[in-house]
Amino acid sequence: MFNVSREFAPPFALIAPFFVIGSIFYMVATFLLPMFGADASHFDISVVGWAHLFLLGFVMMVIFGAMAQLVPVVLEVGHFSVDFYYIIWPLLAIGTILMVIGFWLAPGVLPYGGMMVLISMLIFLADTIMTLRKVEHISLTVKTIAATNGFLLLGILVGFAMALGIGAGVGIDVNKWLNAHIVLVLGGYVSLTIIGMSLILLPMFGLSHGFDERPINMSFKVMVGGVLAYLAGTVIDSQVVRFLAMLTMLGAMGLYLWQIWLIYKTRARKENDIWFRSMVVGYGSLAFSLPLGLLASLGAPENIGMTAAWFLVMGFFTFLISGHLYKIIPFLVWFERYSPLVGKQKVPMLADMYPKKMADYQFWFSAAGVVIAGIGLLFQSDMMFKAGAAFVAVGAVFLVISVNWMMKFGKQ
Amino acid sequence: MSEKVTKEQVYDAIRKVIDPEVGFNLVEMGLIYDVIVDDENNVKVIMTLSTRGCPLHQMLTQWVKDAAMTVPGVKDVDVEVVWEPAWNISMAEDNVKKALGAL
Repeated sequence: MFNVSREFAPPFALIAPFFVIGSIFYMVATFLLPMFGADASHFDISVVGWAHLFLLGFVMMVIFGAMAQLVPVVLEVGHFSVDFYYIIWPLLAIGTILMVIGFWLAPGVLPYGGMMVLISMLIFLADTIMTLRKVEHISLTVKTIAATNGFLLLGILVGFAMALGIGAGVGIDVNKWLNAHIVLVLGGYVSLTIIGMSLILLPMFGLSHGFDERPINMSFKVMVGGVLAYLAGTVIDSQVVRFLAMLTMLGAMGLYLWQIWLIYKTRARKENDIWFRSMVVGYGSLAFSLPLGLLASLGAPENIGMTAAWFLVMGFFTFLISGHLYKIIPFLVWFERYSPLVGKQKVPMLADMYPKKMADYQFWFSAAGVVIAGIGLLFQSDMMFKAGAAFVAVGAVFLVISVNWMMKFGKQ
Repeated sequence: MSEKVTKEQVYDAIRKVIDPEVGFNLVEMGLIYDVIVDDENNVKVIMTLSTRGCPLHQMLTQWVKDAAMTVPGVKDVDVEVVWEPAWNISMAEDNVKKALGAL
């Protein structure tokens, strides 16, 4: 019997900072977007600094907070030690800031920031691995979590080695390992985590049933193979292996999109709320970025690869995260403040616990901004990129306000 | 000996249990598969959930138990969660299907 008791559920005070701080990092990162031009390259140290601000401060912060809540749900066991999460977010937040300072201003600071981020992630991994050891029922999601955590460990070790290379002069070919670091973290951790979690969350929120799960099972295996192959291609320094690995990973994401279509077709819940619209933009962005990623792999100019990365990160990752914040935060608040009152007094529904207008503004500004800035990157127009970035920044302000509003709902 | 408790009384009591995510009660969602009342007025509720990964699993079953216990004469309540047959929207009442856009 699968039970998630109150004892398994982490305290609200433990999870809330991940979402609040994550959304603030997102806003700060979007404010800094206009400092880049449409000709930016992913090898520019300023872009690398921004990417760490965004991916560590926002994406990883929110994912870790979500995992604190979701791990007991999907693994059907309690955390090994949920208290670890009290130190994960401060270390991750401070480490991220130091890393960004290291990239932009003082390279000597980079290893210190990298060390703090590394420790925070090792603590996260320690809890997850010890929790996995208690699991009896090995589902696809369980396998996904195990694989993703292995890739995260490799990814952060490679990243830390590069931080030592940049900040402390340790001998490592940063240009050679940068792409492997990106693949391990974005492909091996973030994308695979999204694949695993979406098999739980999308049918749950969309009330989808009876769909074929073979595409997502294949997607998982192909993605794992692709990430491993890319790593091998980096170790043996083979351009051909890396190219084939990249094609494999693109294929895995294609299979994943097919699965999303199958889940969408069987959904019983047809309302187009903020969550659903965010999923549409997120998966639409992924669908747009895949062919661009293919072109980039075939040797297209840097702007094609940057546009693919833009839609992947600012469209796919961001909208999947922001859309789920409108589901996860109201649930956490409801669980904390209203679940003890059920049967004793009228309690609100989750759908009433997010600011609908504010969320709409966030959605429309962000979606318009992603598209406009993406076109700017594609056609090398500084003006369009900066205009789109400004829209994204305005959307981010509304996201922070919305998160704050949801967190305070029903607070005495 | 108190009066015999009926299935309908128990179903009516469980109608007060609302799924906060969708906003409908568990009976109109079609999540309550059966209610068995024995001669001693012990009640067994056989139910499912709309998804296996429901984080409210234990709370929902507790609320069902609490609701059934409010029926006068009920001696004890046992709630069993089953996954076969798997729930789907066709099991919900028409007002639910209509509100969710599935009708």
